[in-house]
Amino acid sequence: MADLLTRPFSWLNLLYISLAAVIMLGIVLFFVTYAIYFERKVIGWIQIRYGPNRVGPKGLLQTVADVFKLLIKEDIIPEKADKALFRIGPMLAYLPAFAVIAVIPYSEKIQFADVNVGILYYAALSSITITGILLGGWASNNKYAIMGGMRSVAQMISYEVPLIMSFLGIVIMTGSLNLIDIVEAQKDSTWFIFPQIIGFITFLIAGNAELNRTPFDLPEAENELVAGYFVEYSGFRFAFYYLTEYVYVFAMASLMTVLFLGGWDAPFGLDFIPGIIWFILKFMLLVFYLFWVRATFPRVKTNQLMGFAWKVLIPVALFNVLLTAVLKILNVY
Amino acid sequence: MTGEYIAFFIFALMAISGAVLMLNLDRVIHMVLSIGLSFIGVAGLFVLLKAEFLAFVQILIYAGAITIMMALGTMMTSQHKEDKKLKRKGHTIFAILGATIIGLILLNGIRTTSWPNEAANLGEDNVIEIGMAMFTKHVIPFELASLLLLVALMGAIVLAKKESDK
Repeated sequence: MADLLTRPFSWLNLLYISLAAVIMLGIVLFFVTYAIYFERKVIGWIQIRYGPNRVGPKGLLQTVADVFKLLIKEDIIPEKADKALFRIGPMLAYLPAFAVIAVIPYSEKIQFADVNVGILYYAALSSITITGILLGGWASNNKYAIMGGMRSVAQMISYEVPLIMSFLGIVIMTGSLNLIDIVEAQKDSTWFIFPQIIGFITFLIAGNAELNRTPFDLPEAENELVAGYFVEYSGFRFAFYYLTEYVYVFAMASLMTVLFLGGWDAPFGLDFIPGIIWFILKFMLLVFYLFWVRATFPRVKTNQLMGFAWKVLIPVALFNVLLTAVLKILNVY
Repeated sequence: MTGEYIAFFIFALMAISGAVLMLNLDRVIHMVLSIGLSFIGVAGLFVLLKAEFLAFVQILIYAGAITIMMALGTMMTSQHKEDKKLKRKGHTIFAILGATIIGLILLNGIRTTSWPNEAANLGEDNVIEIGMAMFTKHVIPFELASLLLLVALMGAIVLAKKESDK
């Protein structure tokens, strides 16, 4: 599958590449639909209530109905908004969210692009989404929207630093930025969650903040900002922002699986179960973690949030890089 | 016509049109976005030259800078369209003349330089090559640059501290 990109250009080849992208989009949309359902059910279960159970058997069609409602809603653009940028905002936020999925290896056979700077690609593209969010907030011409956008920028830029630093330990250990090489390295030794436990914890926290999810969902704190940067958005443009968030849940959980949990590598030599099943299991565990945190933690305050990133998380991540480098020189790894 | 050829034209068009739009638009946010288009076009050209590391560092650093510029632009500048533009007659002529001369000099430079026929092996692991060069051959400039950044960072803290004490 990955060799599609290296073949010489032809229209048939282009068709195959587009087809692969469309299939992936279908899978991602399916994931998003049922992630939302799963999230509501999990939170319901934690808070001792039922969650959605009316539409379809066991409420399975609830999200489908919600999305359908969003798509047939009137598309409103405020009178005083910057109309062109108001339209570009959601696109600019969504485009990188889908593009980062291309470098993630799902199993030995299912991988799209073998980029030799895979991690860097992820980090670079995901930073473009912030522009889309700020743009949406600014173009709405609404004080809550711009405040939500500004908070989002401050938060995402602050937490991007420890997020990228938590990768560095792994890069030092494997000597490669290629995600496929990183999985192969974990097959030979052990999953990086064990030697890189500090990096893993930093990643869990910073990743959660990068996704703008509770307890770090200040950009859309309903009780202060109405809804944050997408206050003025409705219909399918709002759906795009919402989709962006959940596609990042998909991407972030996949990335964590690849970096720390060994990707498609089977534990205890259980090789007869195919790699993709292992990938999905690990991936689901991490997605469950995100929902679990959302159901149990209260939201933090802005000053605590920024202080935590700069005074705790970044020094810890730096220490992890230093420790890994020292251990590498001492030949412990 | 290969895929690379088409991609080159798309990215080159992005880089140039972004820069032209940046000069011609009126509002700060629009300008910042169009320069972003230009940066991404340049990053695409780097990918075509097999310098993936440079390309994604370009996106990471410059795209981040775009967001910061947007935030600062929103906070520090007036949000109303400014109608009056400074116009001086001689400027257009001098600008065209200057641009033509610079273009001719550059073209001459490019045409007379003898380029090595084959690029050194940049293909597979250029990240490792960059790292090796940076930490062995060019280690002193690298350390000096990081020192400079550290001094700038501390200077910013000192200035901000002075203001918040008042």
